[in-house]
Amino acid sequence: MAILELRDLTKRFGETIAVDRFTLSVEKGEFVSLLGPSGCGKTTTLQMVAGFETPTSGSIALNGRDLSKVPARARGLGIVFQTYALFPHMTVEENVGFGLEMRKVPADERKRRIAETLDLVHLSHLSARYPRQMSGGQRQRVALARALVIEPELLLLDEPLSNLDAKLREEMQLELRRIQQEAGVTTLLVTHDQSEAMALSDRIAVMQGGRLIQEATPFEAYDRPTNGFVSSFLGKSNAIDAHLEAGGPGAAQLRCGDIRLDGPVSSQGPGAVLVSLRPERIEFCGEGEGIVSGTVVERVFLGDQWLFKVKTGLGELLVVRRNSGRREPDLGEAVHLSWQAEHLRILEAGSAA
Amino acid sequence: MIRNGAFAKLFSLVFAVFMLAPLVVVMGVAFTPEGFLEFPPSGISLRWFEAILDNPDFIDAAIVSLQLGVASATIATVICVPAALAIGGGRFAGRDALQALFLSPLTVPTVVLGIAFLRFLSMMGLNGTFGGLVFCHVVIIVPFVLRLVLASVTGLDPSIARAATSLGAGGWTVFWRITLPAIVPGVVGGWVLAFITSFDELTVTVFIVNPATTTLPVKLFSHITQTTDPLVASVSTVAILFTVALMLIVDRLYGLDRLLIGEGTR
Repeated sequence: MAILELRDLTKRFGETIAVDRFTLSVEKGEFVSLLGPSGCGKTTTLQMVAGFETPTSGSIALNGRDLSKVPARARGLGIVFQTYALFPHMTVEENVGFGLEMRKVPADERKRRIAETLDLVHLSHLSARYPRQMSGGQRQRVALARALVIEPELLLLDEPLSNLDAKLREEMQLELRRIQQEAGVTTLLVTHDQSEAMALSDRIAVMQGGRLIQEATPFEAYDRPTNGFVSSFLGKSNAIDAHLEAGGPGAAQLRCGDIRLDGPVSSQGPGAVLVSLRPERIEFCGEGEGIVSGTVVERVFLGDQWLFKVKTGLGELLVVRRNSGRREPDLGEAVHLSWQAEHLRILEAGSAA
Repeated sequence: MIRNGAFAKLFSLVFAVFMLAPLVVVMGVAFTPEGFLEFPPSGISLRWFEAILDNPDFIDAAIVSLQLGVASATIATVICVPAALAIGGGRFAGRDALQALFLSPLTVPTVVLGIAFLRFLSMMGLNGTFGGLVFCHVVIIVPFVLRLVLASVTGLDPSIARAATSLGAGGWTVFWRITLPAIVPGVVGGWVLAFITSFDELTVTVFIVNPATTTLPVKLFSHITQTTDPLVASVSTVAILFTVALMLIVDRLYGLDRLLIGEGTR
């Protein structure tokens, strides 16, 4: 059953449309991410769900209950803010207990629930600290505990990891997922970080210009993007402008300049298309076996992998190779590239970001 | 770490001497056993401190000043906290005009203000009353309070109030439990600065007092226009010590406060 139902949600600020007929439903226990670049409307959507912004039109229903007349304070949502927004003059315990206090939960039950929640986020030993005496990661956990202790029907996370450094962010991703699953709380995350969205979510809703572009599992969105924007926003991707010669059923025939490519089965009709190819699906191969040949113009070592930029007849292609200890092509070296036709994605022309 | 050079140290020393010298002279003069102003004093005597007790006028004036300071600082703070929250909280029509209005007393010469208040209070029939004095002092000190409170409000993360709202707190609860405690340093600082400014105010006050509501600065001023005995020095010394004590208390409070909001070490 859907816990949260957004239907044709629209928000205008004067002439600009921040959110444009956005429809999404979130199932109980699910972790859904709103992903997109800044200004795509994801934060405004979250603000409307939280009750801090009023929708221009459309509806928000929580558990079948229409939220349009419910003020923010009565929605009972757990919210983790980007700045954590901890109460600076209260201890960790008082911060976490605030929501229970507002709900007039008796003192002994309050104490028990605070202890349980702090235990869940592994902060029991710091309950008497003030926020300023804690690290970013610890404050993040306090914010999470404060939102979870009220046992919200829905947890809203507003770029919760963006203020942490890279290493801590990776740790907190795993931690956040564990806590979310242990608490079993339905979660809506807003983020511009595609790796965060992919690592955490059951489902990703990619937004652009206030609109929902694609809604899919992380794997599906990455592997089968429905347009060039999703393909380039999620991970790295090579976008190649091409001409689809034979449409309809059967394998596609693509032409890019004077290079002919075999494509996967596509239902699209003939015409200009955008072909997307993930850099990790491209292989180096021997002379004569390749689909295109080219020269390595950039080579970056990333530890676990190598990143190449190869100048070919199709333009410059990114190639990612796992670091397997083998010798990899040098800068300026002539290379031959090949890939499986099924790894090409044929998308609408002009849909790249 | 940046270390101060010799020139910077010398500058600081000269500045400190420049600031403190008049106070040291006044306090030195206060202990003279003679009947005239002398420095350094030829001996140490509490004669002029005892003399304060024989001049109930000064004590009355000090009491008026204290009451005036407390009343006007409190009223100004009560006005400025909501004003600062509105001005610092976000954009709205007339926001800049409101802020300019609150700060405008700073830009008017105090002599002009004094004459204007005199005329205004006479028209209202409040001339020389304690209420009239409080009103004028509130106008004079509002800019000081507003600026300090505003500094605190601007430093406040707006998400904090939203977080409290999302946890079920209503408007008043958010104000009393979350916003006000978070801006307390600015509020306390603003109150104290306002109190000191009011306690010290002479230029405007001299226009609008009458004998029953004479404040300490006005009393001192009128005293030295008639005589030049060391009584003014001993009264000033008491006032200086009182101010120092007040600052020490605030420092304690503020330090305590910093602890309350989690700064510093435990």
